[in-house]
Amino acid sequence: MSDLFEFNGAEGAGWSQPEPSLGEQEAWSTVPEPLRRESPPVWPRASEPELVRHYTWLSSRNFGIDTGFYPLGSCTMKHNPRLNERIVQLPGIDRIHPLQPEHQVQGLLAIFFEMQEMLSICSGMDEVTLQPVAGAQGEFTAMRCIQEFHRSIGQSHRDKVIVPDSAHGTNPASAAMCGYDIIEIPSAADGRIDLAALEEAVGDDTAAMMITNPSTLGLFEPEISRAAEMVHEAGGQMYYDGANFNAILGKTDPGRMGFDAVHYNLHKTFSQPHGGGGPGSGPIGVKSHLSPFLPSPIADRRDRVADDPEGVGDDYWYFWREVGESSIGKIQQWHGNSGAVVRAWAFYRRYGRELERMSEHAVLNANYLRHRILHPGSDTAERMHAMPLDGAPADVVKHEFTISLSALKDAVGVTGRDVAKRLLDYGVMAPTLYFPMIVPECLMIEPTETESKEVMDRFADDFHEILCEDPEIVTSAPHTTDVRRVDEVWAARNLVLRHPGPE
Amino acid sequence: MGMGSIDELFSDIPEDIRRESPLPLPEPQSEEEIWDDAKRLLGANVGLDDRPSFLAAGLARNFVPTMVGMLATRGEFLTSYTPYQPEVSQGMLQAMWEFQTMVSELVGLPVANVSMYDASTAAAEAITCAVRVHRRKASQDNVVYVSEFVPPQRLEVIRNYTQGSGLDIKMLKHLENGHVDMSLAAEAAGCCAVYVEQPSSFGILDPGLMGLKEIIGGGTALIVGVDAVSLGIVKPPGRWGADIVVGEGQPFGIGPTAGGPIYGLFACGESYVRQMPGRIVGLTRDVDGKRAFTLTLSTREQHIRRHRATSNICSNETLIALMGAMHMALLGPRGIERLALRVTSATEATKRAVTSIEGIELVDPGASNFREFAVKLPGEASNALAHLDSKGVLGGFDLGVWWDFMSTCLLIGADERTSESDIDALVAGLSSWLKEADR
Repeated sequence: MSDLFEFNGAEGAGWSQPEPSLGEQEAWSTVPEPLRRESPPVWPRASEPELVRHYTWLSSRNFGIDTGFYPLGSCTMKHNPRLNERIVQLPGIDRIHPLQPEHQVQGLLAIFFEMQEMLSICSGMDEVTLQPVAGAQGEFTAMRCIQEFHRSIGQSHRDKVIVPDSAHGTNPASAAMCGYDIIEIPSAADGRIDLAALEEAVGDDTAAMMITNPSTLGLFEPEISRAAEMVHEAGGQMYYDGANFNAILGKTDPGRMGFDAVHYNLHKTFSQPHGGGGPGSGPIGVKSHLSPFLPSPIADRRDRVADDPEGVGDDYWYFWREVGESSIGKIQQWHGNSGAVVRAWAFYRRYGRELERMSEHAVLNANYLRHRILHPGSDTAERMHAMPLDGAPADVVKHEFTISLSALKDAVGVTGRDVAKRLLDYGVMAPTLYFPMIVPECLMIEPTETESKEVMDRFADDFHEILCEDPEIVTSAPHTTDVRRVDEVWAARNLVLRHPGPE
Repeated sequence: MGMGSIDELFSDIPEDIRRESPLPLPEPQSEEEIWDDAKRLLGANVGLDDRPSFLAAGLARNFVPTMVGMLATRGEFLTSYTPYQPEVSQGMLQAMWEFQTMVSELVGLPVANVSMYDASTAAAEAITCAVRVHRRKASQDNVVYVSEFVPPQRLEVIRNYTQGSGLDIKMLKHLENGHVDMSLAAEAAGCCAVYVEQPSSFGILDPGLMGLKEIIGGGTALIVGVDAVSLGIVKPPGRWGADIVVGEGQPFGIGPTAGGPIYGLFACGESYVRQMPGRIVGLTRDVDGKRAFTLTLSTREQHIRRHRATSNICSNETLIALMGAMHMALLGPRGIERLALRVTSATEATKRAVTSIEGIELVDPGASNFREFAVKLPGEASNALAHLDSKGVLGGFDLGVWWDFMSTCLLIGADERTSESDIDALVAGLSSWLKEADR
C-alpha cells in the first residue's frame, strides 16, 4: 500500500525551483499583512522518485482500455491512438492562450474550422460550435439556444421538454437546469419510442423533445421521422443526443431524421480518451434557425488578401467570428476543450471520407457479440443455470445491445451486478449495469469497432462460463481484484472525503 | 450470424433517411501524414514560450513538471472510464481522494469535489448550489450578488447557468482603489449568495473581503473565486468565512491549452455537501475490511436523480485533476509557497518597471497585486498591444474588450516564468510606443 500523505522526508526539495527574484522577505511583503498565509497547506513532502513509484503503483490498480476489453455500453470505449497524445504535447496547442491575437493562432483556427465543417457534414446540421466541453454541457447549450429561439418568436410559454424513459440521465438534468419541466414518456413494449405516448405528451407547451437514436437499447428508431413531424407540428424542437452517433455515421444523420440540434461526444465517437471520467468535449450542431443563438465565438475564414500575414499555407485567413446580439453568451469561459478538438481532428483524419467504415465495424462487432452471447453451444447451454434474455428482441442492433439476467436471478439468485463483478475476475471490464432502467437486471454491452473477433469470442465464452458457475462464487465476486466487493453504504454513511492528516 | 453483407446490419434504417453518397471528406491519412499536418498547422501558432508574454487574464503560463505528463498519460489512467467499478479502479479513486485532500488543505474548507469544467462553470454551479441551500430561509430569496469586476465571459456563464432558476443577479460595487465597497455590502445581507474574487480580475488582493462574511450573515453563502497558486502565500478563504471556494485549477498540472481541457476547483463547507455538483470520492472498505475508495453521494447526480439532480455534470476533468494532483504533490508545502512567491515577485518587479515609464499609471494605485495589474495608458490599449506585437512582445490584455470604459487600460500578467529580459522587452516596447505616439 502506498499513501501519499505518508511521504514526509523530502522537505519540499523533491522538485526544485529557482528562488523568487525579489528575495523571500520582500516577496512576502507584497501581500497585505492580514491576508498572509500563516502555515502552508499540509501537502505531502515527497521526492520525485517516491511520487513516480506512488503514481505507477496507483496506475497498476486501475483498469483502462489499454488493460483489457471494456464493453461499457453507451460509453464507446474505443482504442485511443497514441499519435493524438503526441500531437497535443506540441507547443502550438499546449502553450497557447485563448486570447492571443488571431495571427498567432492560425493553425488552431484552421483545425477548429475543419472540425466544425466535418461535424456539420456528418450530422446534416448547418452550423457547429466546439465550445461545450462535455456531452451534458452540449445538451445544456443546445437547450438554452432552443429556449432563446422560442423567446425570440413569442413562444416563451413553451416550458415542457419530452424525454423517453430510456434516455440518458443528463437529458432531463440538462433541460431542468434551463428551467424546463420534464415529461418522461414510456417506451413501447419493444423498447422503441411509443408514438401514442408522444401524441399524448406533445402540445402547445412543448419546447422540445430530446432523444438518442439508436436508443440506449441499441435499436434504431424507424419511426423517428414521424416523431419529428409530430413534435414540429406542435411547435417544438427536436434535439438529438449524439451519445450513440458511433452507430450511424455516414449511414444516415440527425438532419435527415428531422432534428434541429445535436451534440457530439468527441470522447466517444472521436476517441478523445475518457481519462477516468473526463475531459470530454461536447460540440453542438444546429439548423440555421438556431444559429443566431449559439455561444461566441465560432471559427471562420475568408479568402486571403495581399496584406494578410502568413497563414497556414492554404488560401484562407482564419478568424473568430462573434455570433451577435442574440447569442446566449459563453458556456465555458474560453473556446472549449481545444485539446480534445485537436485529438478528435487527428482521429477523424485517419478515416476521412471512409468514416462510415468505423460505424460499420462497430455495428458488426455489436451484432456478432450479441449473436455469440445469445447462442451458446449446446453443451454450454445445458450447463447454464439460465439463459440470458435478449433485452430488446430485434433482428439487428446497432452499436450496442442489452441483455437481461432476470431469468438467472429467478433461477439461482445471481443478479446482473453479481455477473458484472464476476467478469472483473476474468480480466475484463463489466458492461454498463442496470441501464436503461426499463430492462430488468440489465447489462448493456458495446464492444466498439476496435476489438477483434478473438477478444469477443473470449468474452462470450467467459460470460457463458460464469452463467454455469457455482452461484456462491458469482455472488461473492470479485475474488482476484485489488480489493473485493466495496462497501458503498459505509462510504455514504461515514463520508470520509479527505485524508484526516497527520495525527 | 446468417447474414450476407454489412448492408443487412443497416437494413433497419428507413430508406428515405439513408445517406446515399459518401461523406464529402478528405482521403484517409496514415499516422505519418497526420503528424506532418499537425506539425504544419500547430507550428503556425505562436506559443507563449516563444516570446516575452504578459497575457494571463485568468489562465497561467506555467511550467509543468515533466513527471506529470509522463505518468498521467499512462494508459491505465488515460483510457479508463469513470470509476463506477471500484474494485478495478482503486488507482484513480485514491488519486482523486488525495486530490480532494490537497484542494481542501489549499483553500481551507473540508470538502472538495473531483473537478468542474473550468473556473467559470465552477463559480456558476457554486451559485446554484448555494441557492438550493439558502433559498428557503433567505430574506432576499431570489437574489445573488456578484462582484462587478467579474470578467464578462464568466458572468455570461453564470447567467446561462442561473437563468433557469429565475435569479436576480445584482452587482457588488467596487471602490476607486479596486476594493469591494464594504459600505454597500450590507445590501447583500440576507440574499442567497455573494460571489467575489480574491485576487480580483485585476489581480488585486483585497484584505477588506475578510470582513464580508460578517456583513452578509450566516444565511448567505460567501463564494470566493481564487487564483489557486496565490494560496501558497495568501490566507485561504475558508479561514476568513468563505462557504464555497472555486477557481481555475489549470496552473497546477497543464498548460493553458488554448483554454481547455483545464479544470475548475470546487470546495465547500459540510452544510453544502449534499447540494454540491460533481463527483466525489469517499473512503470505505471492502468485504474483507481492507481500505478501499469509491464514488459516493451519487444520489445527487444525474444518472440516478435525473431531472432532480443537483447538476447535469457527468464527464468532468478527472485526468486534468490527476495532473494537478501530481503537480501539487511534487510542489509540497514549501514548493507551493515558493511558487507563489515567485509569481508575486515577478508581478511586483513588472509593476515597478512599467510604472516607472512616464505617462503610464496604475489603475489602482496602492493596491496589492498577485499575477496581474492594470495600467492606464495615454492611448488605446489595442494600439499599444499592436505595437508590442510588432516588437515580438505579447504585452497583455486590452481591458476595453471586457469593459468599454477601459479601452485605454492594459491588463499585464506576470508569472514564475517572467524573466528580467522579458520585463526589459516590455518596457522598451511600451516606451517606443509612447515615443511614436508623441510624434
